[in-house]
Amino acid sequence: MFTLSPEGQEFVKKELKRYETPYSAIIPALYRVQKEHGWVPPEAVDYLSELMQLPAAHIKEVLSFYTMFNKKPVGHLHVQVCTNISCSMNGGRELADALCKAFKVNYDEISPDKKITISRVECLGSCGTAPMMQVNDKYYENLTPETAIQKLKELGA
Amino acid sequence: MQTKLLTEHYDKPEFQTLEGYKKYGGYSVLPKALKMDPKAIIEEVKASGLRGRGGAGFPTGTKWSFLPANGEPRYLLCNADEGEPGTFKDRLMMERAPHQLIEGMLISAFAIGSKKSYIYIRGEYNYPTECVRKAIDEAYKAGYLGKNILGSGFDHDMDVYSGAGAYICGEETGMISSLEGLKGQPKLKPPFPAVQGYLRKPTIVNNVETLAAVKYIIRDGAAAYRKYGTEKSPGTKLFSVSGNVMKPGNYEVPLGTPLKDIIFDLCGGLKPGRKLKAVIPGGSSAPVLTADEAMRATMDYECLAQMGSMLGSGAIIVIDDSNSMVDLLDVIMHFYHHESCGQCTPCREGTGWLSKIVHRIHHGRAEAKDLDLIKKVSEQMMGKTICALSDAAAMPAISFVTKFRDEFERHIERNPSRTQEEAHA
Amino acid sequence: MPKIKINGKEYEVPQGSTVMQAFHEAGISIAHYCWHPGLSVAGVCRLCMVQIEGMPKLQIACNTEVKDGMVINNTSDVVKETVKWILDFHLINHPLDCPICDQAGECGLQDHYMEFGAYNPEMAEDKVKKSKVVDLGPTVVLDSERCILCARCVRFTDEVSKTHELGIFNRGDRSEIGIVDGKPLNNNYSLNTVDICPVGALTSKDFRFRQRVWYLKEADSICPGCSTGCNVKVHYNEEGLWRIKPRVNMEVNGHWMCDVGRSTYKYVNIKNRLLSGRVGRRDSWKEMSPASTARMAGLKLKEIVEAHGPDSVALVLTGQYTNEEYKDLLVYFVTGLKSKNVYHWINNPEKINDFDGLLFRGDRNPNTKGVEAALKRAGVQGKWEDLQAALSGGKIKAVVVAGPEDQSVFPDMEEKHAMFSQAENLIWFTACPSAVLEKSGCETFQIPVKTHAEKAGTFTNYQGREQKFPLVTTIVPQALTLSEVAEIFSGKELNWNLRPKSLGGTKNNYATTERGAL
Repeated sequence: MFTLSPEGQEFVKKELKRYETPYSAIIPALYRVQKEHGWVPPEAVDYLSELMQLPAAHIKEVLSFYTMFNKKPVGHLHVQVCTNISCSMNGGRELADALCKAFKVNYDEISPDKKITISRVECLGSCGTAPMMQVNDKYYENLTPETAIQKLKELGA
Repeated sequence: MQTKLLTEHYDKPEFQTLEGYKKYGGYSVLPKALKMDPKAIIEEVKASGLRGRGGAGFPTGTKWSFLPANGEPRYLLCNADEGEPGTFKDRLMMERAPHQLIEGMLISAFAIGSKKSYIYIRGEYNYPTECVRKAIDEAYKAGYLGKNILGSGFDHDMDVYSGAGAYICGEETGMISSLEGLKGQPKLKPPFPAVQGYLRKPTIVNNVETLAAVKYIIRDGAAAYRKYGTEKSPGTKLFSVSGNVMKPGNYEVPLGTPLKDIIFDLCGGLKPGRKLKAVIPGGSSAPVLTADEAMRATMDYECLAQMGSMLGSGAIIVIDDSNSMVDLLDVIMHFYHHESCGQCTPCREGTGWLSKIVHRIHHGRAEAKDLDLIKKVSEQMMGKTICALSDAAAMPAISFVTKFRDEFERHIERNPSRTQEEAHA
Repeated sequence: MPKIKINGKEYEVPQGSTVMQAFHEAGISIAHYCWHPGLSVAGVCRLCMVQIEGMPKLQIACNTEVKDGMVINNTSDVVKETVKWILDFHLINHPLDCPICDQAGECGLQDHYMEFGAYNPEMAEDKVKKSKVVDLGPTVVLDSERCILCARCVRFTDEVSKTHELGIFNRGDRSEIGIVDGKPLNNNYSLNTVDICPVGALTSKDFRFRQRVWYLKEADSICPGCSTGCNVKVHYNEEGLWRIKPRVNMEVNGHWMCDVGRSTYKYVNIKNRLLSGRVGRRDSWKEMSPASTARMAGLKLKEIVEAHGPDSVALVLTGQYTNEEYKDLLVYFVTGLKSKNVYHWINNPEKINDFDGLLFRGDRNPNTKGVEAALKRAGVQGKWEDLQAALSGGKIKAVVVAGPEDQSVFPDMEEKHAMFSQAENLIWFTACPSAVLEKSGCETFQIPVKTHAEKAGTFTNYQGREQKFPLVTTIVPQALTLSEVAEIFSGKELNWNLRPKSLGGTKNNYATTERGAL
């Protein structure tokens, strides 16, 4: 049975009252699920629908629309490498490939030790400090494959 | 050449805090504004000629004056869903000067009579969000937010809302949908947000930089603000410069500054031995300029419009001769295909179609007539949809294949994969 | 009222109309998929482009309000070229396999393509792959590749049924309609989504791949499923009825009808019908033609009344017949036999005032108001207790029952039959065979009667609205209407030459009549 922690449930209930419409609490609630579980499993939709008294199909719509919600499990380090224009011009794609090679994973897959998932993503607003990667919540900028690999190793990959 | 009006104190780390902000004159304009007639503030903003800094460039004062003149609750939404590829100025502003934004928003909210505002920040911007949240807390504690602000009788609440990864939420009605807890799909217009926006209530959506600029217009007056920039593009603007320059970054300059000065003086020019090939002057959806056009362009709304491009969000992407335009268009088209919200047929289907054709050209399975098809498809995507994402995909496509047609044709002629297939046969 | 010009002709339209409504009202053709008069405006298919003088860009008709003096055009080359392209955008990821699609023949894409399609599609790319044969629930199947994402079905479940089962998931050209696992599309209005789906994306499990629509005829009718009396269209061929769809009547059912009502076509078809009259009792039945059975029953009634007087017979009416039939039968019974023993059988009195808030009513009879009015007019409003007393007292020798056409909505069939069987003779009009009747202990005449689809007539709905409907088709030619029964009872002969004949009879086509799994 999927569930949120008691604090998580409390959080969702507070969010429901925070905005002018309870629907606005869906995105924060999905974030909370991801924070507690690392991703948003499909069962979370039903669970939140019950908890928030909002239509399940609506919650699933929101979940599926936004890219920041992981629809499948990711490694402890979720590495998102920007490959949009300015990053691509500065080696973003090569950086992403190099990371996959270094950590022996394919894109969007979890490494066997569950430590890392590498994804290519669209513009993260670090165009002036390209190439860059986002590791979980944090940006790392002005990277080379070497500095990025070094950083990820420091982070435990 | 840099004219640091908004960014004057951005080099001081303490400017991020309430204390530091106040040390450099922060929250000194708000008391003045709260004593003004709200209508006078709107008039001042109108007179300043300030245009929206998010991308569309719509005159801010005019937008405000579309609000119905009744007592209905109204909302001010700050658009901090900075997502246009190449743009990273709002991020800087929120990280370095969150109180500047809050003060600008309070003055704007007072002007339009709004008691509640949200700052909608893209979800990926964790650190900027943290900075803004902290600043809002500080502002509440100091009495700049909440009931009876500075004894003026004006009440205002402000909150932050995090997006969750969708370029389209930078479109103002897409952002409203997202804030309402829906998919971030743009809404039909009419009604426009000023009449029926957030929860069908009158709503004003302004970009971070726009709202921050309001503070300086009220501080110095419209006439002083107009001293910067050109007649039709008054004021200063933050430009995010990226791509192949020596010193990429954000630069605040008066509108009307020559693009070549920004690239070659402020940003230190290109890497040694490289030649300028092209510049995208206003974020990835702005039509590309050739090197020749770029050398003649000035960074203001009218010059770029005249050149068939646009100032957009002020994201200058500098492209040197080491790049393949086919490759870059492939990257751009992939982005719009990925980000189309999927409501309107021409955009939903057109972005995918374009991306597939360009990808096919890039990877050597194309014919010359595909270039005409790109133009035909793009033309039919323009002006046909609820929002401008469809146009945003079509404009770079048309401009790339028109202005760099030779390169696309050469690429098609080389046709690597066909040669390979034939070799295998 | 604003005056506007459409394609050069002047029209006057109500204030506040949209351009689309103006076209619709004026009956001018305009391409559209997402707009539906019963739903909110989505403005997403972008097909309803019009040119309006003074506006630089083309506008969508569905979201543009008319203004006095507007000059609108949707036949110019610019509009035509644009609409052709937007149709092409709809088609680039749509399978072009109309011959195997169940929607063929009534498909919006097909229609528009034939009208102004680009006959030289330039799409050379691989189409987006999506889910096929998605089981949305007990009634509806989805083919996502055929879906053009007009969102009508989603708006329907959000705005009309308010059941919120459907959503559009993902974004861009990966968007797909769907449900949440374990929360199927399962409400009494689900099949409206199939009706409003402009393409072959949503199909009805009950109808899909059973008939090609161009082989079906259609006729207007009234749904017999409850006292709302939804206006419907019946689709049929020589084999029988295949489906029922709603017909717009803003005063009764708007654009919709319920799934229960849609299933009422089933008992009309021949394999569910009583084909000949049956006389006898438990384990001992004699078959004869309906008319002969009626003649025999009529003689029996005459005999009883002559021997025991008019109070020795009783008539029981259900609310399942037409006003015309009630009138004729009552004339025979009240004026002819001079009996005042006429009673109204209400099948589920405790639920009769139930209402789901949309269309479906607890009174599962199409003509309760009609039977009540007929009884009142004839001055015979017998009390049910009197009938009970008379029966148990043995005063009644024969009961004539205009039994339910749809037996499934009469939960008290067995109980009432037992009560009526206290009389020595039971004359029961029924469209379908009944296991309860087969067990009759008294002398029973089962007389096959026509269903609502096989006769013209009038139902009076819960509002008191008299709704006339025509004969759709004849499934059992030998079955009688109550009016005909009344004639035969009175000793008259039917004019067989004037009676409607069936269209042809059953084809033994197991491929279409025997349903496999989904």
